[in-house]
Amino acid sequence: MKLSLDISRCIGCKLCQIACSAEKEGVYQPTAARLQIEKIYTMQGLETKVAICTQCLDCVEVCPTEAIKYENGMLTYSEEECTGCNECADACPQGVIVVKADTVGICDSCGGSPECVNWCPHGALTFGCREGGGVG
Amino acid sequence: MKGYIGKVLRIDLNNLTSSVESLNLLWAEKYIGGKGLAMKYIYEELPPKVDPLSPKNKMILMTGPLTGTAVPCSGKLTIAAKSPATNTILDCSIGGHIAGEIKYAGYDAIIIEGKAEKPVYLHIENSKVELKSAGNLWGKGTHETEFFLKATCGPEVKVLAIGPAGENMVPMACITSELYRQAGRGGIGAVMGSKNLKAIVVKGTNGVKVADPKQLTARAKEIMKKDTLSDDNLWAYTDGTPIIVELSNSTGVLPTRNFQQGTFDGFDKIHAEAVKAVRKDKKGCLSCGLGCGNYVNTGQSVVEGPEYETLSIGGSNCGIDDLEAIVEFNKLCDDLGLDTISTGNTIAFAMELTEKGIKDFNLKFGDVKGYLKATKNIANKETELALGVKGLSEKYGGKEFAMQVKGLEFPGYEPRGSWGMGLAYATSDRGACHTRAWPIADEAYGDMDPFTIEGKAELVVGLQHYNAAKFSTILCDFWALSLETVAELLTLVTGKQYTEKDLKIIGERIVNLARMFNIREGFDAKDDRLPQRIYKEALKTGATAEKLLPEEEFNKMLREYYQIRGWDSEGKPTGEKLDELAI
Ligand code: SF4
Ligand code: SF4
Repeated sequence: MKLSLDISRCIGCKLCQIACSAEKEGVYQPTAARLQIEKIYTMQGLETKVAICTQCLDCVEVCPTEAIKYENGMLTYSEEECTGCNECADACPQGVIVVKADTVGICDSCGGSPECVNWCPHGALTFGCREGGGVG
Repeated sequence: MKGYIGKVLRIDLNNLTSSVESLNLLWAEKYIGGKGLAMKYIYEELPPKVDPLSPKNKMILMTGPLTGTAVPCSGKLTIAAKSPATNTILDCSIGGHIAGEIKYAGYDAIIIEGKAEKPVYLHIENSKVELKSAGNLWGKGTHETEFFLKATCGPEVKVLAIGPAGENMVPMACITSELYRQAGRGGIGAVMGSKNLKAIVVKGTNGVKVADPKQLTARAKEIMKKDTLSDDNLWAYTDGTPIIVELSNSTGVLPTRNFQQGTFDGFDKIHAEAVKAVRKDKKGCLSCGLGCGNYVNTGQSVVEGPEYETLSIGGSNCGIDDLEAIVEFNKLCDDLGLDTISTGNTIAFAMELTEKGIKDFNLKFGDVKGYLKATKNIANKETELALGVKGLSEKYGGKEFAMQVKGLEFPGYEPRGSWGMGLAYATSDRGACHTRAWPIADEAYGDMDPFTIEGKAELVVGLQHYNAAKFSTILCDFWALSLETVAELLTLVTGKQYTEKDLKIIGERIVNLARMFNIREGFDAKDDRLPQRIYKEALKTGATAEKLLPEEEFNKMLREYYQIRGWDSEGKPTGEKLDELAI
């Protein structure tokens, strides 16, 4: 079960990021979200830059204390077991693990009801078993 | 009060220094933020009769308590100053993502004063504030400027920039962000240019705290799904503002050939369906589920737009029915840093002056080449058109059909086909403007009789209060929500109890404060006037054929407006009114 983004439906409002930071950190702060989605003009035109958890499980692999686990199609994270070594954040190819004072923030799919998906106004973000997940 | 950061960043360009001070929370209680609070700072900090293009003018970037939160459509930034186009108070609203970024960087507002000796840009990264040389950027368009600054400062920064028009202090120069979003009107870009300030670059990585985050997040989500994305508002997503072209044409209020007609033969070449046919993508501002932005590519030219104002004033009003040309005009204006409304009007006025044999600008209605060339020349100040409509009419005549109020050119709504709109133009704080009140929604586009003054003064007063309050929180114009809902959201954000009635009073206070500024500058009732064409020349086609707005009727409506407002016959707020509003 993972997040996917249909870029043709995304308007770049960042409500997903605002919602994620509100849910997870109790503050409205897009940079503290566990996903980053931006529509941005480049020389090539309007482009969508996307970083979402693809569940590659690199973080699970590198975590020395098994603070991050993959269970029932979702990541779980235990703050008690986390030593704040940030190896997961360094390993995350998407760069969506948020580094905090002595812990990290991992996309745990909000336990199965992702806030980012719930907020997305035009169904650009979805959550499920879509083949491959990721960006389309 | 929560929702505010509590900090103002002050930039002194004379000495190239910056300082941080507390936000005046007493003022914030009375004026909220955005438009209202920016105007309060302008009113208090500018000495009377300041030359708008002198270092004594100030430019204020103001967010609001809702900025950066989960409240939908709260991504706007107010930019205020004294206007070089009108000499009135001026506040503009710009979308994109810059407002949130300023707040995430740790400021409610940025106040810019003085003038740098050489071109500079302001680079803000949270508490790090630097003024850097912009010598290499001077003369460049806003697009190249933004690309350069993103390449230099990081792809994630947000940018406000001026183009050559702002540098040359053209009175219709705007400020651009994300290539196609504008603080458009009244020459705000010229103020920035007069300060030798090419751009403002912001990166913010902090958060915004509110009084009741759990409740706010839950309510905001509910309201977004039920209200923002309801049928009443969804037009912004499905069509965007081009949807108004057809509506205006069928109701006879589509400005055509410098407001000589209210219908346009080629309207169906520039209406929403035509725009959608070349649309490639959609884009919204921070926190906005509506995503009104249409990203179009005609093969020749690319733009996020064109909006209704550009399609009407830069299209039908110039006699142009070639969408590709309008898209090119729009892109040129955005890149050169020109307001499409004032630029389109000025070209249309020059076309009429030429056709009437008053002054030959070698321009004709429908002449695409001339129109695009004139646009470039205006930005580079290589033509007298850079004077704007009022300036041109003072020099060459044609005042009766110089479509402006107080020096600001008309937006895309024909007042002869919606009489309340005439009152809205005449009494708006910054000259002819459609965003202080938009009564046409109830008149030509709604159920009210558009050709009567009955009930219009009251309508315009109410709308002016509504918009002043809404633009101070700061929410986007395109979200039609009730003041009750605004009050509810504001309460959850600030922790201070707001009611619909409070917001109406605040709205009224803001309108009166702006009026007091303008009175201090020497404006009075004689400036609340429309050009003679509106009073004397009947329209000829469509739903508005034979219609004008007779001067006596207009005057009656204006008197009634003053009366409702508690202003005297000179249009001046009475001492009683000011006391009542605690100004
Ligand atoms: S699923 Fe939850 S944790 Fe993951 S990005 Fe979305 S809101 Fe954030
Ligand atoms: S909420 Fe949806 S539309 Fe908005 S930026 Fe996120 S994915 Fe895109």
